[in-house]
Amino acid sequence: MNFAWMLYRRLAEAFPHEFKLVYGRDVMQLGEDVVEDIAKRHGAAGLIRLIADIAIRVLLEYLSEMRRDMRYAWRGLIKSPGFALVGIISMGLGMGLTTVVFNSKWQVISRDLPAAANARRLVMPEKPVSYYYIEQYRDQKSLFTGVAAFQTGIPFNVTFQGDGNARPERVFGQLVSADYFSVLGVQPQRGRMLSPGLDKPGDAPEVVISDRFWRNRLNSSSDAVGQTLRLNGQPATIVGITPKNFNGALSLNPSELFVPVTAPAALAPELGNEVVHQRNAKEFLAMICLAPGVTTESAEAALDAITRHLDEQDPSAPVRADQSRRVTLLSAGSMVPLPRKLKRVVVGFYVALMGLIMIIACMNLANMLLARGANRRREWAIRLAVGASRFRLVRQMMSEGILLSLLGGIAGFALAYFISMLGSQFMLPTAVPMESDYTLDWSAAVFVFALAVVSGIAFSLAPALRATKGDMTPALKEGSVLQLPGYLRFGLRNLLMVAQVTGSLMLLLITGFLVMGISQVSSIQTKFDAHTMYLLSIDPVRDGYVPEKAQALFEKLPEQLKTVGAVRSVALAAQAPFAIKDEDGTIQLTAEDSRGASRVQISAVEETVGAGYFAALSEPMLAGREFVELDQRTSADGSKTLPVVLNESAARGFFGNGNAIGGRLRDDQQSYQVVGVVHDLRNGIGISQSVIYLPLTQRNFARPPADGMTIMVRSDAGTDVLSGIRREIAFLDPNLTIFNVRTLSDHLELSRSAERFAVNTYGGIGVFGLVLAAIGLAGVTSYAVAQRRKEIGVRMALGARKGQVLGLVLREGAALVCAGTVLGLLGAFGAAKLLSAVTNILVDAFKVGTADPRLLVGAPLLLATLAMLACYLPARRAAQIDPLTAIREE
Amino acid sequence: MTDTDYQRFIPLKAHWFHIMLSLAGGEQHGYGIMQEVLNRTTGKVRLWPATLYGSIKRLIEAELIEESDERPAPELDDARRRYYRLTKLGSCVLDAECDRLQELVRTIRVKQAMVTE
Repeated sequence: MNFAWMLYRRLAEAFPHEFKLVYGRDVMQLGEDVVEDIAKRHGAAGLIRLIADIAIRVLLEYLSEMRRDMRYAWRGLIKSPGFALVGIISMGLGMGLTTVVFNSKWQVISRDLPAAANARRLVMPEKPVSYYYIEQYRDQKSLFTGVAAFQTGIPFNVTFQGDGNARPERVFGQLVSADYFSVLGVQPQRGRMLSPGLDKPGDAPEVVISDRFWRNRLNSSSDAVGQTLRLNGQPATIVGITPKNFNGALSLNPSELFVPVTAPAALAPELGNEVVHQRNAKEFLAMICLAPGVTTESAEAALDAITRHLDEQDPSAPVRADQSRRVTLLSAGSMVPLPRKLKRVVVGFYVALMGLIMIIACMNLANMLLARGANRRREWAIRLAVGASRFRLVRQMMSEGILLSLLGGIAGFALAYFISMLGSQFMLPTAVPMESDYTLDWSAAVFVFALAVVSGIAFSLAPALRATKGDMTPALKEGSVLQLPGYLRFGLRNLLMVAQVTGSLMLLLITGFLVMGISQVSSIQTKFDAHTMYLLSIDPVRDGYVPEKAQALFEKLPEQLKTVGAVRSVALAAQAPFAIKDEDGTIQLTAEDSRGASRVQISAVEETVGAGYFAALSEPMLAGREFVELDQRTSADGSKTLPVVLNESAARGFFGNGNAIGGRLRDDQQSYQVVGVVHDLRNGIGISQSVIYLPLTQRNFARPPADGMTIMVRSDAGTDVLSGIRREIAFLDPNLTIFNVRTLSDHLELSRSAERFAVNTYGGIGVFGLVLAAIGLAGVTSYAVAQRRKEIGVRMALGARKGQVLGLVLREGAALVCAGTVLGLLGAFGAAKLLSAVTNILVDAFKVGTADPRLLVGAPLLLATLAMLACYLPARRAAQIDPLTAIREE
Repeated sequence: MTDTDYQRFIPLKAHWFHIMLSLAGGEQHGYGIMQEVLNRTTGKVRLWPATLYGSIKRLIEAELIEESDERPAPELDDARRRYYRLTKLGSCVLDAECDRLQELVRTIRVKQAMVTE
């Protein structure tokens, strides 16, 4: 009983101050009166009930006070609508942007592959390997529960059953090993998935379709399973449908068809040349499900050792002396697989970005609350004097901050929703369709709510403590000197202002670097009117052509098209001109001197182009010649030397300032001879990428890339040659599918849309940052000036002129702005360096951006002007008041 | 006093009803209220101390009861304690609640009679 009584007393003391003041003694007294009786009548159960009753009541009293605080705060905000509006806009902008970043980036990075039960245990090596290697990996039963092989982004020309006359549709899918679905842990929605027990080489071709394919293209037909589709002209039976939302591994490029690797080459040209049995055909990605308890690190080390061993056993592979890792594992169970190292960087970048935006927004809130607190010191003093506790006042001020923050959260969620609606309409123009899910879900709502509460509490606590700190009695006395906090070099107010300028400048500069960098790097100027060039794609192999027939077609196609009136030149290429190539499109090349000894080794971007390509682009050769029809007949099987054209950067890289023509290069499989050099054609991401142009060969004709073979047709301005071209192609073969028809101008416009999107996004963030900074600076300075109203009055009563007073305020403001500017510049450069060091995607953008004087001078100047204006306006207002009024005010 | 003034309190919360009912006989302190309720309900309803004062606080805020400055005869007075009494509004609300409950009981009786017949 003694313990219960002690507990009761403790809890009675925990009641809120105001309740305790009125009823504390009574609760204690009554407790004392009844505790014995309760123990006697009800025993331990009664005592527990007594304690539970008071514990719940303490909580209820706090909640009730909180509700009253909120109501009070609400009334306060309604009374000062300007303050409320600015606060809500500021917090709304901050939280809206943070939510957009969280939703579009963070979630995409961390979201699990839908419908895959094993998502958390899936890893995949970054680089493709041969099927043979995957079979060897599969033997490591103690490490892996399964290893599947797949190729993604494979186009199929699909004709539907019974629709004999319909044009085939181009649908993207994956080639997968039979254990693919069991490794991922995906169960069928209907029918069955592929399985090693049922799907053997030589079986009739089968296909698993995605839920989306079934809904959109088969109208959710109930008898879809068992139907036959024609894929690239070959029949394949649908055996199963994947669950909803499942679009294959690497689902950023959604796949709609899953064709087993046992299918014949006629159905999928990627499976030609017995690619499954070739030990050195590194064309498959491995999807690995780790055994329980196996870490990614240990799996990576084991795979690295196995791969090294296999490489060494392979007589055809070149000897590699390097000791660096050959296998890097990605976490394949997420929407966007990232290597662990990069994941940390990307996560870090977004956390920093979100943090920066939120800190600026929250600083605003803190500043505004500080200013408001300073104006209400007399009110606080009176309330303290009549018995309110400091804790209660602090809570009341914080309620205002939290309420503002919550209202800001609602505004922010609305903003995020609006931005995500815009974002979901945005499509990236990639060869293989790409999509990201931008819709906001409940986790984004939870995120905003948590963010609002945490930032509301965190950033209203300091102003609340500050406003109620110290001896408040002077604030009560009529006409007495208000005890102002002394001028502190590192006082909260000054720190806030410096932090505000630093944060805003950093945000402005980093986004500025990106905007300037990306827009400069990605601008392309063609040497002719880009409207006069048409780009079309065909893929005869997927229309059922055998390689020889395809080659014959491509040989006569340019000549045939040139017969169309107004056509000036025709060229073929494996990719559209000015294409953006990432690291996957580069090859390692070594330059040889005349004796065959190696000299320089660099990696260059590889582009495959046909005869007359540069002439069609009005690009003169700097030296040598460009490709002719004869070059296209060479077979690229390693036995012959291939002619190549280099761009200026590559020529300089390999051969210095010497003559590159006739120079020899080689890589693992092939040797090359330079026949020509052209200018650097800017492709939109790098200024000086080394590019090696390879001629189109039989291999390309037999197996065109995912976006087909591109035909470039240039015509006279103002003429429509498209119908003529279509007629000529139909004349050659009416069954050929023509797709991706657009002008070069449209193509460039589309292909830069990602950059434009980035520029708009970062520009938007920068502008929001600027708006926030302006609001915040105005808040800080008006607070500072409000605190000094009386001082200014005294100074002016003693004879100070307006100019002197203004000078005083502005001088102090300028010192703080300077400090903030220096810190902001250093911070922005530091961040740019750090980001460039960890990811090469942004290197060029930052290189151009950080060297732009307009930005380096303009941004700090703009911000400093804003800051000084924010200092000047309230100072002028203060200097205009009658000194007597200012002195009498207190 | 208009009808709507006290209608908004109807139906009364059980604790509030018991406290107000025990104040119907005159001023009473917290301990007295608790004992009265306990006795009246033959031990079935116990107002636990914190709940009792939490309810008293809210009843005072709602202006249904008030603190009384009149003390009982000195031999009955407990100097340590504060006394409470019904306000005019409180009396009206209590009357209205009693009417409501009586009406309810009447209805129940009629229904019971119908069932037993």
